[in-house]
Amino acid sequence: MDVDSGLGLMAACYGAGALSSLLLARLSGRLALGVGHLAAFAGAVAGLGIALGVLLGAPGRTLTQPLPILFPFARLSLSVDGLSAYFLFVISLVAVAAALYGPAYLRAHSPDAGPARQAAQGFALNVFLGSMAFVCCADDALTFLFCWEGMTLASYVLVVSDDRDGENARAGLLYMVMAHGGTALLLVAFLILTERSGAFDFMALRAAARDLDPATRTTLFFLAFSGFAAKAGVVPLHVWLPRAHPAAPSHVSALMSGVMLKVAIYGILRFAFDLLAPVAGPLPFSWGWIVLFVGTISAVLGVLYALQQHDLKRLLAFHSVENIGIILIGVGLAMILWRQEGVGGALATVALTAALLHTVNHAAFKGLLFLGAGSVLCRTHVRNMEELGGLARRMPWTAGLFLLGAIAISALPPLNGFVSEWLTFQALLGSASRFHGPAGLVIVFAAAMLALTGGLAAACFVKAFGVTFLGRPRTSHAEHATEAPPSMIAAMVWLGAVCVALGVAPGYAMPLLDAPTATLLHGPVASAVVTARGPLVLSTALMPSGADATAISMTMVAALLLSLTAIAWILRRGLQPALHRAAPTWTCGMKPTSRFDYTATAFAKPLRLVFEALYHPRREVTRETAGTPYVLRRIHYAGEVVDLAETQVYHRVEREISALSQAIRARSTGRIYGYIGFVLGALFVALLLSELGR
Amino acid sequence: MTGERPLALVLLEMTLLVLAGPLVTGAIQKMKARLQCRQGAGVLQPYRDLTKLFRKGTVQADTASGLFRSIPVLVVAATVAAGAFVPVVRAGPPAFPLGDALMLLGLLALARFLTAVGALDAGGAFGGMGASREMTIAPLVEPVLMMVVFSTAIAAGTTELGALAAHRGTSWLLAWSAADFLGFAAMLLLLPAETGRIPVDNPDTHLELTMLHEGMLLEHSGPGLGCMVLASHTRQIVIVAVASALFFPVGPAGAGVVGVLVGAGAFAGKILALAIYLALVESSYAKLRLFRVPQYLGVGFVCALTALALRIL
Repeated sequence: MDVDSGLGLMAACYGAGALSSLLLARLSGRLALGVGHLAAFAGAVAGLGIALGVLLGAPGRTLTQPLPILFPFARLSLSVDGLSAYFLFVISLVAVAAALYGPAYLRAHSPDAGPARQAAQGFALNVFLGSMAFVCCADDALTFLFCWEGMTLASYVLVVSDDRDGENARAGLLYMVMAHGGTALLLVAFLILTERSGAFDFMALRAAARDLDPATRTTLFFLAFSGFAAKAGVVPLHVWLPRAHPAAPSHVSALMSGVMLKVAIYGILRFAFDLLAPVAGPLPFSWGWIVLFVGTISAVLGVLYALQQHDLKRLLAFHSVENIGIILIGVGLAMILWRQEGVGGALATVALTAALLHTVNHAAFKGLLFLGAGSVLCRTHVRNMEELGGLARRMPWTAGLFLLGAIAISALPPLNGFVSEWLTFQALLGSASRFHGPAGLVIVFAAAMLALTGGLAAACFVKAFGVTFLGRPRTSHAEHATEAPPSMIAAMVWLGAVCVALGVAPGYAMPLLDAPTATLLHGPVASAVVTARGPLVLSTALMPSGADATAISMTMVAALLLSLTAIAWILRRGLQPALHRAAPTWTCGMKPTSRFDYTATAFAKPLRLVFEALYHPRREVTRETAGTPYVLRRIHYAGEVVDLAETQVYHRVEREISALSQAIRARSTGRIYGYIGFVLGALFVALLLSELGR
Repeated sequence: MTGERPLALVLLEMTLLVLAGPLVTGAIQKMKARLQCRQGAGVLQPYRDLTKLFRKGTVQADTASGLFRSIPVLVVAATVAAGAFVPVVRAGPPAFPLGDALMLLGLLALARFLTAVGALDAGGAFGGMGASREMTIAPLVEPVLMMVVFSTAIAAGTTELGALAAHRGTSWLLAWSAADFLGFAAMLLLLPAETGRIPVDNPDTHLELTMLHEGMLLEHSGPGLGCMVLASHTRQIVIVAVASALFFPVGPAGAGVVGVLVGAGAFAGKILALAIYLALVESSYAKLRLFRVPQYLGVGFVCALTALALRIL
């Protein structure tokens, strides 16, 4: 089949999935769910086909597809260039797994769901996937915003679809408020541009942006950046993320965390390097530095707050904040280095390659981890790690794949997380030696923080994996868990294989990054810089001269590791045949129970005390004594860690808004005439203002 | 600049490190004993302990998962693989790229990650305590160590350890800049932490209140424990070898067997110097309280950050 007609096929798949979910639900909810996910799977495969066709096709290849004229004032069209294709690739990669995983998960997790809910879930999933894919393919502001809104609304429906308590509804509300705040900023940025260009298509916007004065250009960028940052969950705009992502069904959490956040990264890249970029010369000074700084803060705070979570899915959601931060470090560096005099384009390519590679890496391992958490959830119906334990013996596949994801996300070799962090470090080091003075210090600080982030992520995932899967089961939920159904395992194996492949042979994936780096930077492409010495070797040159390039070979290291493991395995069997037996763990002479296992709270306690200033931990211990203070009946312990952004920023804003609402409420009469009067008054004032401004 | 190292030499060096690892531990123990006016066990005692462990049977916790048995294998493989990236007898990058300092630190972190996971598997409080403390200290040590590496890497333009050592050349203290001194100071502060010694950890204790690394090994036995112990010997010599590659001048380069022997001799001298330092520190200080360790590492952080800042200003 031809790649050119792929866009229509993908749209047809997602559209058919959405419609058939609604229609078939009258017959059978299960059927609707199955057909809906099948169509989503087909759509994702079509998306992969289009993306690979463009990425591996002739250089500079762009697919364009005009859309039917819905509005007389705007020409709408889709266009898939290198950048779009790359993000379409990332989206489709995870979407394949999610569509495979979904039906079995939803059946196992909520067996009593009615057909209405199942129809809504099938419908919303297809709309969600379709709009994410088409945001990246949009070639005009209207299509972009329309799909952007579709993405928000569909994911909102999925977040609140699992309505077992009010918690989900509250999470959904917060999500809606934050997402629409972000969309409003985007809308303003787009409207200012379209007002100058007179048309909505990106071509006209680019032309209009050419003769912007620097102040307006920077204002527009930061409007758009804030809008995208709200969606990407950048600190301090992240508060919705750890609430909304865990509330959704797990395969949707995987999509939201693994993919939806990346659509915001796409937006940032599209605005910074394409729509708003000046014709010649580097990007304005403030852009890259602020993105770099914000990314660094997000990375550190994201992982620090993740460490103190006991809810498995919430912990993973906080890690998305961290990983978005790592991606933004790469993006910020690329923005700083791009077209910089005397720095050379190669380093900007390394930085952007690191960011883009981390985008797909994070999509793969975060998707895998969320699906793993989903398997645990659907077999135990518990999200709190303190009530789990001992699952590795009961769910060996899930445990092994979760461990794989945990090693990958902790940026440990030989898996994919390490590769992109290595590239980020190389880009940071290379630029630190070129920017002298305070600028170099900021970069060095970012490198130090990135190193801290990696270590803390490892600590966090020892906790998450160890407490959930190892030791003894702490409750009967965990004790009676069984392995997840094969289709769910298959979805995890797919993402796990991506993690291993991108870790062991990253050089072979570099050609995929050529098209996006060429589209954005117009400089040397990824594979020419990073895999200059063949696909087995990753190399970067820190010095402008290019001498003494640093080179590593993930493939060789993996082979070395594998052969050493084989040797050690023989060693492990011992020098002579000896007795092997099993015995209970020594617990100082007491009967071993699950109470002896370290809990997640206890595990993270030392780090809670070390970083006390950032956590403001609250601790309440109540003792119930029998007559004398020396005989204890019960001790009740309650601990809590606050999110500084939430208490310092949001609670204050919330108080102001409620005070304002109370004041307005006192004026509101409840009569419809009054409200019509307000609307008319507002319209009159708006018209007056626009007339005065002309 | 010294030439490239062929793959066979790299593997030979790695084997040499693994074989010499227990000797360093034995030498440090012996020196400690002499400093404490004891006779002490012979320097070859760690080898005897290892052979004894590999001859023994195993007792495994009945609650442990299938993962538990493979943990020692993976830990020792990751640690030994890290040893392939440090130059031993000759400086210069390997003929075929393998890994750099970041990869080395990554593999050591992988070994630590898996050790901590194994500690939680048996379901005892000691393992959990050890894992929790180890994973508290590790994220604070790693960034400082990385910054020490960065401070020399920025000057040399590479993070490949062989090339870094070659860049150091034969320059000794007189050719050092202020950044080198500060970086070396940070490295000296980190060495006890990374090798699991006083004042951060105590390798000789099995008291639950004082141990970090040993607590994680409690549930391993027989050949499994042997692998874990071998891994910690190897880890120690690898870290010491990194310090010597970053800061000590390389020995005189020669060709053929003689060159290799001279290089090995020079390497042994450097390792011995750092081993004496470790033994002296262990004998003259008390172990720090766990929550004082971040302050101790903070000093190292400041040294490393200043070293880096001096490089780029």
